Amino acid sequence: MKKVNRRTFLRYSAAVGATAAISGVPTLLRAQAPEIKIASIQPVTGVIADIGIAMRRGNQFAVDDINARGGIKSMGGAKLKLLLADTEAKEEVARSEAERVIKEGAICLVGPFLSGNAMAIATLCEQRSVPFVMDVAAADDITRKGFKYTFRVFPVSTNFANNMLLYMGQIMKEKNVSKFRAVVTNTGDLFGRVQAATFIRFFKEKKFPVEVLAHIEYPLGIQDLSAEVSKIKALKPDILIPITRPGDAKLMIRELYKQRVELQAIIGSGPGLYEPEFIRDMKVLAEYVMDNVPWYNPQGKMYKEVNEKFSKLFPGKYIDTNSGYAYLGVAVIVDALERAKSTKAEDLVAALRKSYFKQDLMIGGAVTFDERGDNVNADSAMIQILDGGPKVVLPAKASNAKYVFPMPKQLWERGM
Amino acid sequence: MNLNLTLQLALSGFLLGGVYSLIALGLSLIFGVMKVINFAHGEMMVWGMYVAYTILVWTGIDPFFSFLVSAAILFLLGYLLQRIVVNRILDFPEAMQVLPLVGMAMVFENSARIIWGPDYISPQSRFSLSSISMGSLTVDTPRLLAFSLAIVITLIVLLFLKKTDTGKAIRAAADNRTGALLVGTNVDKVYAVCFGIGTACVGAAGGLLVPIMPLSPHIGAPFTMISFIIVILGGMGSLAGAMVGGFIIGVAESVGPELITILFHGIGLDLDFPNTMKQVVSFFILIVILLWRPQGLFGGRKG
Repeated sequence: MKKVNRRTFLRYSAAVGATAAISGVPTLLRAQAPEIKIASIQPVTGVIADIGIAMRRGNQFAVDDINARGGIKSMGGAKLKLLLADTEAKEEVARSEAERVIKEGAICLVGPFLSGNAMAIATLCEQRSVPFVMDVAAADDITRKGFKYTFRVFPVSTNFANNMLLYMGQIMKEKNVSKFRAVVTNTGDLFGRVQAATFIRFFKEKKFPVEVLAHIEYPLGIQDLSAEVSKIKALKPDILIPITRPGDAKLMIRELYKQRVELQAIIGSGPGLYEPEFIRDMKVLAEYVMDNVPWYNPQGKMYKEVNEKFSKLFPGKYIDTNSGYAYLGVAVIVDALERAKSTKAEDLVAALRKSYFKQDLMIGGAVTFDERGDNVNADSAMIQILDGGPKVVLPAKASNAKYVFPMPKQLWERGM
Repeated sequence: MNLNLTLQLALSGFLLGGVYSLIALGLSLIFGVMKVINFAHGEMMVWGMYVAYTILVWTGIDPFFSFLVSAAILFLLGYLLQRIVVNRILDFPEAMQVLPLVGMAMVFENSARIIWGPDYISPQSRFSLSSISMGSLTVDTPRLLAFSLAIVITLIVLLFLKKTDTGKAIRAAADNRTGALLVGTNVDKVYAVCFGIGTACVGAAGGLLVPIMPLSPHIGAPFTMISFIIVILGGMGSLAGAMVGGFIIGVAESVGPELITILFHGIGLDLDFPNTMKQVVSFFILIVILLWRPQGLFGGRKG
């Protein structure tokens, strides 16, 4: 934001005076509220550009939506301006792009989809004393460094693991399964690694009846999973727990089909298994795939409003984990700005600390941060692709369908 | 040791190796003739994929036929690229030749993103989900088809270079540019045609890969890398080397991690070789071969 000093004040008043004189408008001129710059920093190009673009769209859509509703009301209807930054999915670029938008006057950063990138940005924001709100990034470590300016709206990996045990436990109890033999796979980025390692640690520590036969990791952006799936097949697991990204999720399902790997269920916990493109391309193969992810609240009023506008703006898309949290990230900043009535970093951070943002866009309660900056009410749900669309199946209170387990038909029996 | 698994891995690696060979053939041909490394190779392959995908969506024609259109369009693109960009940088120092082509790679990647969007696409085609069971082994039909067609294309290209006048002109220009100029060869045109053939190879390979892997604008760079490894391994500019190198890398990346894990277990180490590091296997082979034969497996007098 521009500071108003004597010179700019004089210049503006002169301009206003001149306009008033020329147009003959009566003196009832309202001062134009200043613009507030926040920055969306996402991996818009590079190996995960698809989700990066979805996230940027979510951020931009939220800003436009809030501006259309009258901007920041406590600050005279000040409008938000979204600066755009692209991490290219690389840590070093994430840092330099964050530096750039801070120099351009961003008072707060929102983003990015990748945990590794988020770590780089959080470190910089701490040095520059600029508030940073992570919309999607799950690795626990980011908020374990004692950062003062970093907040996270998204659940952390331990939360995912807790819920995974909770939901799997419920399924096992209801279906009388005493034990699962499982293979865990993950993409080799920070999120995938932390997520899979946390799950395996939880299974072991909590003596949960899941035997992990193998933990297979492959690089992000892999284009051939035949070797990995051959290994899975050789191990003959009951269930597969894949932590995926969009490209390898599709590759995995197809490869499982072609190699005829017999499974009772595919229970993932990550992106790739719920996007519209996954369902469009996989068709019946997507059916019965379960995914433990933060999800929109199908009963929520805010969800219905936001989703209606969003899917009109981007035909074929819907609010999912990514776009939903991208929206929520901006909404939380706006809520803090409303209460802070200031764009100073200290005021904004103080307001963010006191956040209690009631929302029913995503499953979970009001957004409120603990001393680390993590949203304590962020939560995940078990979703399952049923009848060509993602449905919430667990927890029962938020569900809009009943889960199907085991898969009634193996992948290759579905007549593709 | 799980023999079945190892065989399965070797088989799928071998089949994919055939397609790698075709991709590397294009790179090797361009390098062999012009001494220019096409750093936009992988990105051009992605264009080949998108062309075949677009045809599939619009007309329903299977990529295993429409790869010919991909090849034709990529020939045209390659021809123009050579005429407009590459021909002007032929006499530049090598370090300076790199930049325009890396720049072209970015142009190809990002224009694909603008045209076809950023999302991963796995189109449904006739063969994309079929496989044949042979005992305990599974043969992936699209891989088998891609492999066979890649081999046929490679042989046709080799025959073309040996038998036709244009092919002979290309080889003459590769051997001795000045000599070819002196006997009246239109070297500029020959170079452009050669570059076009190189990119047509990679375009065809792209088309063949559509039923096998999901496509997205950014997937090209690793393919540039892998074909580069293959070409160095086989001998810069050697076409036979590119073929053999493709198979070596295909099989090694597939079987390597498993074999190394078995080795680790054999010597009493409780370690699994992570699949994330499978490129280590290719680079290791590359280093060993370069130590033993610095000119590459088939690199003879040239290179």
